[in-house]
Amino acid sequence: MRDLLQATIAIIIVCVLLFVAAGQMQSKGSTGSKDTLTIFNWGEYIDTDLIKKFEKETGINVIYETFDSNEAMLTKIQQGGSAYDVAVPSEYTVESMKEDNLLIPLDHTLIPNMKNVNEDFLNLSFDPNNEFSLPYFWGTVGIVYNPNLIEDHLTFESWDDLWDESLKRKVFLVDGSREVIGMGLNTIGESLNVKDDTILRQATNKLITLSPNIKAIIGDEITPLMINNEASVALTWSGQAADMLSENEELNYAVPEEGSNLWFDNMVIPKTSKNVEGAHKFINFMLDPENAAQNADYVGYSTPNEAAWAIMDPEVITDERFYPDNELRDKLEVYENLGLEWLGKYNEYFLEFKMSLK
Amino acid sequence: MKKLSATSKAYLVFVFAVLYAPILYLIFYSFNSGGNMNNFESFTLEHYQAVFEDSRLIVILINTVIVALLSGLIATVIGTLGAIGIVSIKDKKMRNTILSLNNVLIVSPDVVIGASFLILFTMIGVKLGFASVLVSHVAFSVPIVVLMVLPKLLEMNTSLIDAARDLGATKRDILTRVILPYISPGIFAGFFMALTYSLDDFAVTFFVTGNGFSTLSVEIYSMARAGISLTVNAISGLVFAITVLVVIGYYFINQKAKSATSEGQR
Repeated sequence: MRDLLQATIAIIIVCVLLFVAAGQMQSKGSTGSKDTLTIFNWGEYIDTDLIKKFEKETGINVIYETFDSNEAMLTKIQQGGSAYDVAVPSEYTVESMKEDNLLIPLDHTLIPNMKNVNEDFLNLSFDPNNEFSLPYFWGTVGIVYNPNLIEDHLTFESWDDLWDESLKRKVFLVDGSREVIGMGLNTIGESLNVKDDTILRQATNKLITLSPNIKAIIGDEITPLMINNEASVALTWSGQAADMLSENEELNYAVPEEGSNLWFDNMVIPKTSKNVEGAHKFINFMLDPENAAQNADYVGYSTPNEAAWAIMDPEVITDERFYPDNELRDKLEVYENLGLEWLGKYNEYFLEFKMSLK
Repeated sequence: MKKLSATSKAYLVFVFAVLYAPILYLIFYSFNSGGNMNNFESFTLEHYQAVFEDSRLIVILINTVIVALLSGLIATVIGTLGAIGIVSIKDKKMRNTILSLNNVLIVSPDVVIGASFLILFTMIGVKLGFASVLVSHVAFSVPIVVLMVLPKLLEMNTSLIDAARDLGATKRDILTRVILPYISPGIFAGFFMALTYSLDDFAVTFFVTGNGFSTLSVEIYSMARAGISLTVNAISGLVFAITVLVVIGYYFINQKAKSATSEGQR
């Protein structure tokens, strides 16, 4: 009995000490003000020095939390129980959050730095006039490849290069119905948002002819495979590609000329917000050219902040793989919310394609 | 102890190699200045420095340990009393039913438990954070403690209790002086199981964290989306080192206590 009591007391003492330590760490980091702001962002998606800078500038205490998928974030915001002031969903999630009435409209007068965003990235179909969202990072869907592991003539300027005979069992695809069916649509010159059964059937048939070349349809596992030279070609998002390229310099990334998808992660203010004013301040802070440049430099994704481009490393900005020129940008298409019925059809066609693989 | 044959020795070495190789590999690269796990460039401590400079990460680490210790403690108290309660049920059918209900909780998937807790907490209006994480960790640890304590209780001879009663022990005396000391190895085992369960739980915690409270497993999971940085290696290395130290410390305290009691008996 004595050792049980001793152990219990020891555990309680350790807990109290840890509590005090954690409290001290937190108060050291904070500004001592009671004004707090809770931010919900993707993992590793901000330079943490910027959070400290924001705290210093505004005196607001930042609580920073991370998520790993749009769906996970949406679930937590829908369920409530946690008061998030700023969240960073992708464009199709912005649209569904809008429909579910989960967002607070932005007061543009509180965000003067909005003017720094390139016009191409404003007023898009998923959020006309940027009533609810402002872009954080953007990118494309394209092909990562390892030139050392494939034939020389393949540069993936066209989607058709994927069909090349030398790529037998070498192509990896991301496991996303819109990305893969979208690629099929791109190759036959159709929009990524078509709602037409015959066109979708055509695209699927075209994809099925690719099946001899396909090695696997997977998710984030592509990253280590490409980095370790174990895979040669993969269809993926430019953000993921940028990570791979920074780890393995042999790799290259290309967006085929026929066009592709243009994606966005956007800052929004959820209905659960308890500090709407602070949330606006934060969004404005992140759109400041210097901060946006610093963040893009740290995270490695493409920033939509035009004013930031002027102060960033010219080599990064002129890298057309991640900052495509206007000509290609015009061909890029943003996903529209298809609605449940058509999203279901895309998934069905994607499933049919997957089942056709041998 | 009988001497091990060469094959058993080789097998033992193989098993331990498989168990420890990934951890050692991970710790090895935490000292890599190259910034990735592909090739080792040169020795550096910068990743450890990064961990200590990131006060957010340290707070999360401390939170993880507090939740593990407290939830382990509370679950051990509830679970031990629960196990004593289950054993004292005379009706066999009833006892088996309760035991089965206990086992259902152990085998049910974490995601289901996590999602149901999220729904429960938001329904009754509990703010997500420290309390919600602690409560759910206690909840999934209790059945484990029950299962660890139960065998000890069943192995106990009931005549011990009868004898104590004959000698005039009150109910409280019987509990604190007879039952608890007898089953204390089971209680400790239950506590440590609960501790490890809590430390590495991701699925349940993911659903019930909020308002700035997070644990290491959840944090590392969302960090890993952007490719695992060596900071993760460094913090994992630290956690591993602390665990080893605690185990060694526990071993020495045990040895000392044992030799002290044997000397006292002499």
